[in-house]
Amino acid sequence: MNSAPHPTLPIEFDFEALPTEAVDLSPEIIDRAVELSTQINHPERQWQTYLNALALYGFEQWLDSRAADFTINWQECSLLQPAAANAIEAVANLKVNDFNLCLIATGSLTDEEVTLPRAIVDLPEFVPHFYVLVEVQEELEIATVRAFLTYEQLSEQRESVNLVAEEDWTYQVPLTWFASDPDRLLLYLECLEASAIPLPVIPSVSEAGRDSVSRVMQLARMRSDLQALLPQLHSPERQLWQILTWEQGTAVLTSPELLEWLYQLQQQPRETETTASVGNHLSDILQLLTQRAVNVGCWLSEQMDDLARELSWVLLPSSSFASAFALRLRTPEEEFKAIVTQLRQAGVEIPPEARGAYRDLRLAGMPLRLYAVTWSLLSESVPEWTLLLVLGATPGTNLPASTQLRISDRTGILVEQGVNEQQRDSYFYTSVIGTWDEKFIVTVSLRSGIEQTLPPFSFNPEQG
Amino acid sequence: MGVASRYWKLVRIDAAGNRKIEEIAPAKAFFLASFPELTAQNELPDASIQRQLWQWMREAAEDVRPLAKRCLQCYISSQIEQACQQLAAQFGIEHGFTYKDLLPFVLDDDGRRPRSNPTPPNSSSYKSLLNEILDSFDPEQSTLATWATRRVKHHKELNAFLLECGVYLVSDWAILNDTTSKQLQRIFSEFHRLTPHEIEQARELLESYHAIYRAQRLQQRQAGKKGQCLPPTPEQLQQIIQHLSTRTNKRLSPTTAIAQLQTIASRLRQYRIHVRSGTLPTESIDAPASGTSPDRNPFLEFSDRQDATDEQSEFLSHYRQQFLICLDRVLAQVIQAQVTKFKRKNPQKAEKFLTALELFHCRGQSMTEIAPIVNLQAQFQVSRLLNLKAFRADIRQQLLVELRDRVLDQAKAYTDPERLQFLSQQIEEALDEQISKLMQAAATEASTATITKHQITSSLFARRLCRHLDTRRKQP
Repeated sequence: MNSAPHPTLPIEFDFEALPTEAVDLSPEIIDRAVELSTQINHPERQWQTYLNALALYGFEQWLDSRAADFTINWQECSLLQPAAANAIEAVANLKVNDFNLCLIATGSLTDEEVTLPRAIVDLPEFVPHFYVLVEVQEELEIATVRAFLTYEQLSEQRESVNLVAEEDWTYQVPLTWFASDPDRLLLYLECLEASAIPLPVIPSVSEAGRDSVSRVMQLARMRSDLQALLPQLHSPERQLWQILTWEQGTAVLTSPELLEWLYQLQQQPRETETTASVGNHLSDILQLLTQRAVNVGCWLSEQMDDLARELSWVLLPSSSFASAFALRLRTPEEEFKAIVTQLRQAGVEIPPEARGAYRDLRLAGMPLRLYAVTWSLLSESVPEWTLLLVLGATPGTNLPASTQLRISDRTGILVEQGVNEQQRDSYFYTSVIGTWDEKFIVTVSLRSGIEQTLPPFSFNPEQG
Repeated sequence: MGVASRYWKLVRIDAAGNRKIEEIAPAKAFFLASFPELTAQNELPDASIQRQLWQWMREAAEDVRPLAKRCLQCYISSQIEQACQQLAAQFGIEHGFTYKDLLPFVLDDDGRRPRSNPTPPNSSSYKSLLNEILDSFDPEQSTLATWATRRVKHHKELNAFLLECGVYLVSDWAILNDTTSKQLQRIFSEFHRLTPHEIEQARELLESYHAIYRAQRLQQRQAGKKGQCLPPTPEQLQQIIQHLSTRTNKRLSPTTAIAQLQTIASRLRQYRIHVRSGTLPTESIDAPASGTSPDRNPFLEFSDRQDATDEQSEFLSHYRQQFLICLDRVLAQVIQAQVTKFKRKNPQKAEKFLTALELFHCRGQSMTEIAPIVNLQAQFQVSRLLNLKAFRADIRQQLLVELRDRVLDQAKAYTDPERLQFLSQQIEEALDEQISKLMQAAATEASTATITKHQITSSLFARRLCRHLDTRRKQP
């Protein structure tokens, strides 16, 4: 490459006047933007996240500088959730008044093509009413809202020129499609009804017709593929599009749980091997997301849902939880009553209104019995529930030394509890607490790698 | 005298900071004797003259060297002056500086220290820009004019001064930071038509630059460092080279690496100018959005429009009587909102805003005249303070809201973006009719930068605005 044999332009073409409508980015804003960017491990995405954050705060400043009052809702804004920011290079789901906005940060270059991540065009979860271009001049510490485009216009234009997504899951859209009149955007934000710009709907179970498949069904179908492929993204330099098909990508991008898992994976130092627990957790998440759950909440009113019945759960009578002397008889009820008494003696609080059930399992030919006990906790501001699990051998036998119980929720593995080697009992227990909308997934395993994951547990006492 | 005199006339700044042109007699005699056949021509072959002088400066006899050097210094000094004149011609009036304000940054008293920088910590290492340009000049790479202009353009102190005046040059390093390798590949292949090999080399280097420079920029930001992106330090350059060689097995020398990065940046800059000159508004943004003739009344013209727009025209004619009441309310609202927002950050700014608003709209003073009164340096700062285009857009918009709230069944009118846009345009035109004279005067002032007073308009908009400002002032 030779040094510039091309003519240099006259000096006055290079200098520019600061735009009158530019907003200043204060040191506080820059600090916050840097902080957001440092949460992203991938160097290329880190810089874009920094620009996106400057665009977001600059846009907020701009709205604030104008006469009308706008209500900004940051709650679902993708940029403020590292897991989402890690996967989508735009500021999606910024709510202003009744509108959903997506900000696209452009830097010092000025390109006649705008890069739109495919997610904000093709996935209803992220599609906005307005795409807004914010030009960020990082070194000058200013941002300028340049132009916008409605989803409707984008769709029409896209259809008319038959624009297709690129291999790297982006659309290259001409700058000329955008209206370079930010004042008109303000007009729309303040005066227009959100319904004026129809948005695509998220395929849900009830909407899923012949052509569309609900997100859960989609995920269920590609569960084993994802289980195999996603761990390859351990190196943050690997991009989703390099590993997955768009259909698989859709499943990942629309699942906050999987995005979170991926983010955690990519935050780990590059040198560390992907541990078994990371893979286990992925498998647990995929099952939590795709499988029907046993509603233990209805046990409290002595009911059992269909799934529990299918899985041969047997409800334990309320007398099992009353204070009583331990009996030597060994029906499951009586055995459990004895366990409850022992647990209480050991300091575990099991309220009288708790209810439980048991089912028998076979693991590597070994007969096991799992008791599940639940009760609700209403003392906290958000109602919670407890799931207490007791794993026992069938009467008269001891548990194999390597028996383990693993409980996960969508955020990770919560407990991995094994038999106490010193005082090997005929049972051991563990418990977890969650809010009513949280589910748990339980796996029983032996050291040999043989394991069985049970369908998830959920808690919804109102739904019989 | 023809252009040849540039080789023996030295432009300099004297101790009092005044520009002086000094004829260097020995240089003149030397030049005329060396290029007797050329001095009569109108168009000098500068490139070959400079190459010859440059060679003499380095290799000729002891007595010739300083004379050749002097000729080149003279030429550079005039080139520096020209660059400053160009900048001043384009931005000076609107941004409040003359080319004489720029000269002290880039010229000095004949190779000695510039006036603006009286005591550098290490004065022995000081080198005037003139000599810096001459020492780094390579006739194989570019002409002296290009090279000198380039160095002036990237002069740190000059840039800092211009930025204070609201004129900036985006740095090479900022452009490189904000360009992805995908953009680079597309621009180099489609715009510059480079070969795949050249593109690949540029992409690899850009990626290594990103890996080092961006990360350190973020770290510097974290440490609270401000300001423009500076050229990579020798350490950074080493790291970039190291990064590149780990990834590609190519090892560049620091000089090659920096030159190649600058070449990439200058190619991106050319593309940038191409795009910006095509897509961004070149006229002053204070210019009126639509060219409505001043003697036309949109309110009365509604009936002339075609049937399809009857409904819309009804919208405004219905509210004609309401218009005045609404306008008053909206003026009060928008001004109050702005004042409150300014006050939150800086109470003085709110005062400045009100004063500037009154001087501009009610006293007919130009922004240039207003600047010193509200303690600002130049017109562009007043223009940013008043932000007339946004002010007008806000008023238009609030008028729409006000009018909507007055009759409920019209609310449904706002479920169609095109229709809403149409109504907004109607109000825009109605407002334009009232304030077009004012806005045109402002626009003329902003774009042609004449410093004359603009006409005090007696438009409805101005009258109402001034009345409101008057009432405000009388309030305790």
